[in-house]
Amino acid sequence: MDKADIKARVEKVTALVLKVDPKEISPTANFAFDLGADSMQSIELIAAFEEEFNIQMDEQKAREVQTVEAAVEFIAGYLKQP
Amino acid sequence: MLENSASPPKDLEHVFYPKSVAVLGTNRVAGTVPHDIFANILRDNFQGIVYPVSPKERSVAGVRAYKYVLDIPDPVDLAILVFPSTVCNLALEQCGQKGVRSAIIISAGFREIGGAGLQREEEIKSIAKKHNISFIGPNCLGVINTDPLSHLNASFARKMPQEGNIAFLSQSGALCTAVLDYAQAKHIGFSKFVSFGNKASISEIDLMYYLKDDPKTKVILIYLEEISDGAALMKAAQEIISESGKPILVLKSGRTREGAAAAASHTGSLAGSDEVCDAALKQAGMIRCTTIEEMFNNAIALAYQPLPQGKRVAIITNAGGPGVLATDATIKQNLELAKFSDATLEVYKKSLPATANIKNPVDVIGDARADRYKVALGGALQDPGVDGVFVILTPQSMTDIENIAEEVCNTVGKYEKPAYASFMGEMDVAAGISILQQRNIPHYVLPESMSRAYASALFFKHHRDMKPEEFTAFSGVDKTKAHEVIESALSAGRTYLPEEESTKILQAYGLPVLPSGLATAKPEAVALAENIGFPVVMKIVSDDIVHKFDVKGVILDIRTPQATGDAYDAILKNVEAAKPGAKVKGIFVQKMVTKGEEVILGVKRDRSFGVVIMFGLGGLFVEVFKDVSFRVAPVGARAACEMIKEIRAYSMLAGARGKKPRDILSVEECIQRLSILALEQPEIKELDINPLIVNDEGGGCYVADARIML
Repeated sequence: MDKADIKARVEKVTALVLKVDPKEISPTANFAFDLGADSMQSIELIAAFEEEFNIQMDEQKAREVQTVEAAVEFIAGYLKQP
Repeated sequence: MLENSASPPKDLEHVFYPKSVAVLGTNRVAGTVPHDIFANILRDNFQGIVYPVSPKERSVAGVRAYKYVLDIPDPVDLAILVFPSTVCNLALEQCGQKGVRSAIIISAGFREIGGAGLQREEEIKSIAKKHNISFIGPNCLGVINTDPLSHLNASFARKMPQEGNIAFLSQSGALCTAVLDYAQAKHIGFSKFVSFGNKASISEIDLMYYLKDDPKTKVILIYLEEISDGAALMKAAQEIISESGKPILVLKSGRTREGAAAAASHTGSLAGSDEVCDAALKQAGMIRCTTIEEMFNNAIALAYQPLPQGKRVAIITNAGGPGVLATDATIKQNLELAKFSDATLEVYKKSLPATANIKNPVDVIGDARADRYKVALGGALQDPGVDGVFVILTPQSMTDIENIAEEVCNTVGKYEKPAYASFMGEMDVAAGISILQQRNIPHYVLPESMSRAYASALFFKHHRDMKPEEFTAFSGVDKTKAHEVIESALSAGRTYLPEEESTKILQAYGLPVLPSGLATAKPEAVALAENIGFPVVMKIVSDDIVHKFDVKGVILDIRTPQATGDAYDAILKNVEAAKPGAKVKGIFVQKMVTKGEEVILGVKRDRSFGVVIMFGLGGLFVEVFKDVSFRVAPVGARAACEMIKEIRAYSMLAGARGKKPRDILSVEECIQRLSILALEQPEIKELDINPLIVNDEGGGCYVADARIML
């Protein structure tokens, strides 16, 4: 899966979980500050990404990811793993 | 530690009286902190404009929301941040760009969690500094200002308290909510109510200075979990009390003796952090309370009634037993039962029944109604020999409780003297108590609390009226000489100064040391003893030995040259047996004083308050009873005198059981000189003079033993 695919799916999941207009989701958008994710929604986002990409993320590290582009990189790292 | 005094003045006016407030990170989910803060501001009728800032909501509670604070078209005086801690930096940065100069950061997840939280706190401090923003928090409940001009409830407390003249500052947010609930039940109102959390920008000291000039505040209450800069707190308290006359009550948690056990000196082990804190708060005129209840018991006395002018108290009761209890409690607090004037007794004789006790405590008898309370209370309040009145009521079948409560309020309001009440009981007296509380008559469940509150108010009054301490510039001080001894030890890598060197330092500051010298050979010891004059005492001098008695390194009362030589050999033999290989510098030969009272003086450097001076009676009194007093340096003549009088065994020095009084003035001078020494020689960590032998009045005192730790 290439980065463009990951980005498209990250944006789709983000829009669904945070109930925001996909147009507002830019690569630099901060989940909490720009898109309004509260602490509960941040956990929901992590779970939704895991389901979407069929991966198991380190929750502690995942919670440190703040922007859409950082999430794409973070998830790509898991998808590269054998 | 000095950051507070060096930093620019904080903008607190916009924290309490903003014309416009933005709540950054609010949402529409009732029952969450981000939502409830905004809802509370709206609900409690804030007099300015409030803007919700929410990344994804178009409106909150029907008010149009902005995505960013930068989108708000008008100026914002105060920003309240309720975002997750991870993005508070972004929110604060935008506040800076917007020109907001005051903020409250409610969010948790900073210094209190360590690690990444610590870094986050440093980052917001840096952003705030860059944009000159002052902020309360983070990790706090918020701020409440009951002044109708603002009426700001920028907190997630369940309710806004009623207006009052007590300000409450708290390091704990959770405690705030409990205090609000407690105060509401007792009709206690607040002027300002602040949870200051991690105090990363605005500290309790900044808030205290603000409250000094706040016309709505009469009494300042503070709950603290840590005192990060004790010296600054003391300075602030002293300035506030002297300039505004506002009392400061402190509830400080953590009354433990941690760290004290590891200390090397007597002073170090006795001066635990809490003992020092206790002494320092009192020294600065603050009233330390041990419970929330005690804090409010004292606060209502100070906030609602005039300060007592003296300790003569009249007690008015409708029952004998409670009158006796109140009398006991009064005496226990070092107060006095007032003696009524003949005129007052005449009024009582005429107006009260023959069975009434018209002497203090006045018993108006169980069937007393409001008219008898009016006579008894009015008579006491107008008597020039009475400084304050305690009104006690027990609910008997004839007692018209509410009428009596009304009468008490009416009568007390006519005089400039304090009156407190204790309507004893629970159910039957509830309505009467409510009347008293609503009309600002301090009410206490028990007479003991009432007398304690009176004693606290009197302490404050005395402290407020005291002239500033004066410090004597003593002659005979050679700072350089003392410093040379210290430098020499430090350059040799030594941090323990044995008696010989400690004595030189004390002598350089004019403390009365006994004639002495160091002998490195037996004939030298004999010659020294003959020169000093018998009797003498001889002590081992070795960097390897701190406790000389434990190794039999001290021989007392040596009266001949022969005995001097024998003692020299014996000490060396004893030390070799007890501590083989100890490097011996020589034997210290010192004049022996056989008469006098032994006292201990000490110095310790406290992490928060700085140099602390200790005084106590020697021997058992210090070892077993820990009967010591403390002051933070500089210690002037008045504080030195208080230190001596404060210990329980003071009468031993003052001349108990026919003994002559000791030379207390000379001890006072020693305490002051020691205070100067400790301040001028910052390398000294701990110092013990144990004992200082005090002669009879006029005979002076002598340092018989001393040790210094660098």
